[in-house]
Amino acid sequence: MSDPKRGSAGAEPPSTLRRLRRIGSEEKFLGPLEAAVMERLWKRGTATVRDVVDDLGRSRALAYTTVMTIMTRLQAKGLLERDRDGKTYVYRPACSREEHRERLSRDLVRGLVDEFGELALAHFAAELDGVDAAHRAALKRLAKADPRAPR
Amino acid sequence: MLRADRAFGLLVLLAVVSSAILIALLAAIIPHVELLAARGAEGAADVVAIVLLGLATLGITLGLSSLFRQLLATLVLIRSLLARRVAMPARVRAAAGGLGLDGRIDVVDDARPFSFCYWFLRPRICLSIGLVRRLDHAELRAVLFHERYHLRHRDPLRLVIARYFAAGLYVVPVVEDLVAHFTLEKELEADEDAVAAMGDVRPLARALYALLPDADEVSLGLLVPVGSLSVTEARIDHLVQGRPLAARIPATSIALSFGALAAASVLAAVPGMLVAPASLLFVAAINGGVHQVRLVVHR
Repeated sequence: MSDPKRGSAGAEPPSTLRRLRRIGSEEKFLGPLEAAVMERLWKRGTATVRDVVDDLGRSRALAYTTVMTIMTRLQAKGLLERDRDGKTYVYRPACSREEHRERLSRDLVRGLVDEFGELALAHFAAELDGVDAAHRAALKRLAKADPRAPR
Repeated sequence: MLRADRAFGLLVLLAVVSSAILIALLAAIIPHVELLAARGAEGAADVVAIVLLGLATLGITLGLSSLFRQLLATLVLIRSLLARRVAMPARVRAAAGGLGLDGRIDVVDDARPFSFCYWFLRPRICLSIGLVRRLDHAELRAVLFHERYHLRHRDPLRLVIARYFAAGLYVVPVVEDLVAHFTLEKELEADEDAVAAMGDVRPLARALYALLPDADEVSLGLLVPVGSLSVTEARIDHLVQGRPLAARIPATSIALSFGALAAASVLAAVPGMLVAPASLLFVAAINGGVHQVRLVVHR
């Protein structure tokens, strides 16, 4: 059962142990610098590497190559898209901040269970994937129900 | 109605009885196999002994492998998340007020909204910043009540034990069914606990709704290839209708399990490795073994 969104292009499927070691790395989470770059892109809409270096450079000293590496990596992860404009690339977010948050939420169980298999813990939102439309609607009605209405 | 505690108690009882029978059978096989190693296989009884030894080895391997994978996976996850532990936000402190969870909550810096109860003898609760940001005070409190149920019942420990038994005792498939029932029932009871404590079903329903993925993304990844029961759908039914769920243990599973245990008892008690009871045991073993091996392969 493969999830097309998770595969990284050209990469060999990692061994379980390697996958276990990689959790917590940038593959699953946005690192602080990546998050800062995404913040700038969501605010600006589009930006070149230079724009981001200038933006971030106001609060911290960052090398152009560092930011370029990060933006290339974000593009490889599918978080940024880019178009060539003359000699430079212009980047834009591949999804809105909300969509990104939703994607993270969707990946919750997959991220934890796919990577780790049988986790010995009880978590609040286990198996959120397999909920059909009828149950979704029923939960929504209940969540938004009038407090005075009988259940 | 088979509630979580009873389901777990029954599971452990059945597991202990089954283990005793199967260990007695193993003790009966070993001298036979030693003899066989000395003189080579001669008749049907020898073949039965060899196959039984193979099944026993598979059971031991599956049980230990389940235990190892669960502990390793959990340890690695917890370590990686706790490396991102942050000071408890004031909102969490406020929501946890009076719940008796002082010093038992970890908040980790992760954008994904999640919460879970972890660790074994003295469980703790882990919340992500993503969850804290997404839920309001009442929703957060409802989630904490839910997790407190798991913490008080040491559910992570019970889960490890239950899965270990289900894997090792694959010739008794009803153990796996009891694990599935226990897994579901503890969630329903944790929800019930939260609703009763809040005096209102809506904060918990809102929290659950806030964490649901988009409808068009549903079923992309079927994570646990066991049964067709969706824990969340059952929880939603339970929240909406507020009535308890009847335990559904398939009759074939019960028949196979008790057939296998009766056959193992006969084989252990009567010398000669009788083919007829052994056949019954093999059928149950194939049925449960395929399922457990699939779980290992899928995970």
